[in-house]
Amino acid sequence: MKTDPILPAIRLEDVNVRLPSRAGLVDILSGVTLSVEQGEAVAVVGPSGSGKTTLMMVVAGLERATSGSVRIGGEDLEGLNEDELARLRAGNIGIVFQSFHLVPTMTALENVALPLEFLGEADPFAAARSALEDVGLGPRADHFPAQLSGGEQQRVAIARALSPRPKIILADEPTGNLDSKTGAQVMDLLFDLRAKFDATLLLITHDGALAKRCGQVLTMQDGSLAPQKRVAAAARK
Amino acid sequence: MSDTVLKGGGQRGSPTLALPLELRLALRDLRTSLGGFIVFVACIALGVMAIAGIGSLAGALKEGLAREGQSILGGDVAVSVVHRRVSEGEKAFLQARGAVSEVATLRAMARPAEGRRNALVRIKAADAAYPLFGAVALGEGGAQSYKSTGTAAAERLLLERLQISLGDTIRIGDADIRVTGVLEREPDQLSARPAFGPRIIMSLATLEATGLIQPGSLIRWRYRVKLADARAEMLKTFRADLERQFPDAGFSVRDRRDPNPRVSRIIDRFSQFMTLAGIATLMIGGIGVANAIAAYLARKRATIATFKCLGASGATIVRIYLIEVFLLAAIGTAVGLVAGALFPAAVVLVAGDVLPVYLPRGPQPLPLLLASFYGFLTALLFVLWPLGNARDVPPALLMRQNVSDEPSRPRLPYLVAAGVCAAALAGMAIAGAESRYLAAWSMVGLAALFVFYLGVGYAVERLARRVARPRMPELALVRASLSGPGSLARPVVLSLGAALSLLAAVSLVNTSLMKEFRTNIPKQAPSYYMLDIPREKIDSFREIVRTVEPNARFDRAPMLRGRIVRLNGARPDEKKAAPNARWVLNGDRGLTYADAVPEGSKLVQGDWWREDYAGPPLVSFEAEIAEGLGLKLGDTVSVNVLGRTLKARIANLRAVDWESLAINFVMVFSPNALAKAPHNFLATVTLPEDAGAAREAQLTQALSDEFAGVTALRVRDAIDAFRAIAERVMAAVRAAGGLTLVVGAVVLAGALGVAHPRRIRETVIFKTLGATRARLVAAHLIEYGLLALVAGLAAGALGTASAWAIVTLVMDAAFTFSATAVLQAIGLASALVLIFGAIGTWRVLGASPARQLRRTAG
Repeated sequence: MKTDPILPAIRLEDVNVRLPSRAGLVDILSGVTLSVEQGEAVAVVGPSGSGKTTLMMVVAGLERATSGSVRIGGEDLEGLNEDELARLRAGNIGIVFQSFHLVPTMTALENVALPLEFLGEADPFAAARSALEDVGLGPRADHFPAQLSGGEQQRVAIARALSPRPKIILADEPTGNLDSKTGAQVMDLLFDLRAKFDATLLLITHDGALAKRCGQVLTMQDGSLAPQKRVAAAARK
Repeated sequence: MSDTVLKGGGQRGSPTLALPLELRLALRDLRTSLGGFIVFVACIALGVMAIAGIGSLAGALKEGLAREGQSILGGDVAVSVVHRRVSEGEKAFLQARGAVSEVATLRAMARPAEGRRNALVRIKAADAAYPLFGAVALGEGGAQSYKSTGTAAAERLLLERLQISLGDTIRIGDADIRVTGVLEREPDQLSARPAFGPRIIMSLATLEATGLIQPGSLIRWRYRVKLADARAEMLKTFRADLERQFPDAGFSVRDRRDPNPRVSRIIDRFSQFMTLAGIATLMIGGIGVANAIAAYLARKRATIATFKCLGASGATIVRIYLIEVFLLAAIGTAVGLVAGALFPAAVVLVAGDVLPVYLPRGPQPLPLLLASFYGFLTALLFVLWPLGNARDVPPALLMRQNVSDEPSRPRLPYLVAAGVCAAALAGMAIAGAESRYLAAWSMVGLAALFVFYLGVGYAVERLARRVARPRMPELALVRASLSGPGSLARPVVLSLGAALSLLAAVSLVNTSLMKEFRTNIPKQAPSYYMLDIPREKIDSFREIVRTVEPNARFDRAPMLRGRIVRLNGARPDEKKAAPNARWVLNGDRGLTYADAVPEGSKLVQGDWWREDYAGPPLVSFEAEIAEGLGLKLGDTVSVNVLGRTLKARIANLRAVDWESLAINFVMVFSPNALAKAPHNFLATVTLPEDAGAAREAQLTQALSDEFAGVTALRVRDAIDAFRAIAERVMAAVRAAGGLTLVVGAVVLAGALGVAHPRRIRETVIFKTLGATRARLVAAHLIEYGLLALVAGLAAGALGTASAWAIVTLVMDAAFTFSATAVLQAIGLASALVLIFGAIGTWRVLGASPARQLRRTAG
């Protein structure tokens, strides 16, 4: 994806997501308008069931908007099919999940190399090793996820998300399954690497302190976003 | 995706091979999962082994026959004719082309010089040049023990039957012959027609002394030629020259490339049947393949979703898992091919003495190649559906837990591809079969089998859903298990049902056939066929029968042998004959003439000729065979009899009751066509039911005293011999069914294994909620018992229906039901399901609830 430095990294306009359920159609997102500049760090907070995860899935191209426009780096996701969305994600969007979602049958190194292999990189394992070093897990490269602690697994997941140097990082409750000390260490790492690669960050969290580390804090309530408030430019870095 | 070359040999975790991405990921995935695919590999291996094994054995037998063609045939070419010896001109033709050996074969009665016993024997009378290839194996007596006039070598069986010793004298026809050797094996034994009675070999001069060589006698004269120029192309030249010079001689010609076409046909037919059984085995194994892959891909849904989040397209996902399937299929196929290739060697080890030829040691490439195609195609057919579902795993699965876990139908291209695979499999089976008609119906039957058992399984699930929730907790658990997602109804019923219905059908067909052989046929069949009764003595023959057994029924007919050489002017090999009629064109047939419709026949079309008819020769043809040969009223048939060609017009068509075993012929001529030709009579004698062995012996003795040259063929002995052959064939079919059952058991074990994790989760929850072990065991036993009963009953029903259709419609015999066969099917199903189920239950109850609950909490 070639990004125009002028265009926002993430742009949603009047996005609605309506999904079928046993009780009929349910409005998950209603009229969401959002703009995240390149290099910004934005936190999305809100109670459980408010639509935060769905918002992230729409941005990642994992969920289709029922109506409205979703642009990533200026590219409209509406006209892309599933495979085109997958290719968009590869190298452009790094996702960090709450449950890590490492491939259990691959080593840490192989997990981190995966997105690079999908991109067709010339030497994915060299780059993967470097990414593991960045998160302090170089010596654990040949360990399987079951042999790593929760914090280590999440660091591997961060390395995997960042190894292709994506323009956008999406993190969905990345510390949700970690204790507070480990979570803090993981978040420090995430923010440091984000700053290092000047990536745009969209962070889903219900941790207020964590949210304040971001330049913007958006509140989701019943599928809608409260108006955006930008903090001082110094806080973005 | 472009190929990625990875550098840095020696770096841990970095592969140094240049492999495509999908292959790399597939290998990575398989390295920790291989152990879970034992069922997959076993299912493919067993099916491939069956097809490869039978194909290898058939190929080895035919290669052995071709290699030993000269010995088996007794020459490079063999020319045979019935009723007469070759003329001087014909002999000169043969002798101009190489060394010639003359052999006569016939049936006759032998009795000891002292004593009243007699026995049917198969006589081979040979000239001094015999054998041109190989040697006669004699147990006792020297190599010359049968070559002197008045001596013979006989099978030990004859010595036992006549209660004589080596050196004693027997009487055949008008000659006293001393048995001076024990005959073990002749090199050309396999090329002979099947016949009853012990074998005896003598010189032509000895045969002449018996007085059995008479005009019209049923003697087959064989002339083996060792060609001076034995190149393969000369075999064709020989046949062409012989046909050109002697078009009306009525010769039957074979050459060393196919020394016994009848045996080749038997090998082909048996191989075809067993290959179809092997394909059925492979199809049933395919269920195991489908279950294994579906369960594996279900476990991989999160991984697949992760891949998609990281940028993998749906096509990449399909390629990765298709490669894994291909690699597993390759392992299974390789195992099956090795086992199949070794099958001929195993047969030699177990039954080498019984085999008619030495089997070559090397593998048979073509059957192995065919078996591997079947293996891969089957694997592909059964994985396309779950693979198509895997392609569509939504990446959102990782974030939203309420994304449905139930796979839906895959996209249309996968269904079409599966259809193409199924068509390719069926097409291969049909194209490679000797009888494409039978193969096509077998494929239809196989598809119907699957649909039937899927339907039965589905019906069980629906019925369980509709039944009101029982009050008894154990029954409620059973109902939930049978009706809910992951129900075992379809896998259990399908995996067992197919194999059990085959076994039940075989058992019922066998029961019906054996009853036919033991009871029905003997009731209506004559007691004896009497062959070669001199025409001028037929009346006195009948008088003796009437004198000794006044209540015996006596039927007679003139009999000659001849070959069909033209049908409506066309040669038989130019005629496309239906499978049920083709046998009439192979070799010579019994011919007769009559001035009235023979008993046991009924006119279905046309009219019978007048008693004093003197016009152009007419023939009455058996209606079914005429239809199979495409003949109708007014068509012409030319037969060669005694070296002359007789052309007759079809005047009528008859229906014949062959099962009665009464005297019947495919062709009956008008008397003016054959009455003047030299011939003997054939008669049947049917003794009353109360005639015991003593009266039977008295009659045969009286007849053999007066008519030493007449051969008495005891029908019960022939029926017993056929029954023994039928039993052996059934045993082989049962073995094929047994292999299918083994595969069914493997598939069943796989299906229960797939359900195992769910069972553990359920059991843990039930235990947490207060269910005792006894209650859980009872629930499992009831569930498995019900499924076994359904599978067994369905198999019994389908097996009964199939057996009825085969016995009544194909074999045209009476169907006999046997509850034993059905009960055996139910019993086997119960045993298998309960054994595997019990193992699973024991493991489930042993699972630690705490560990399970911690695992699912995350």
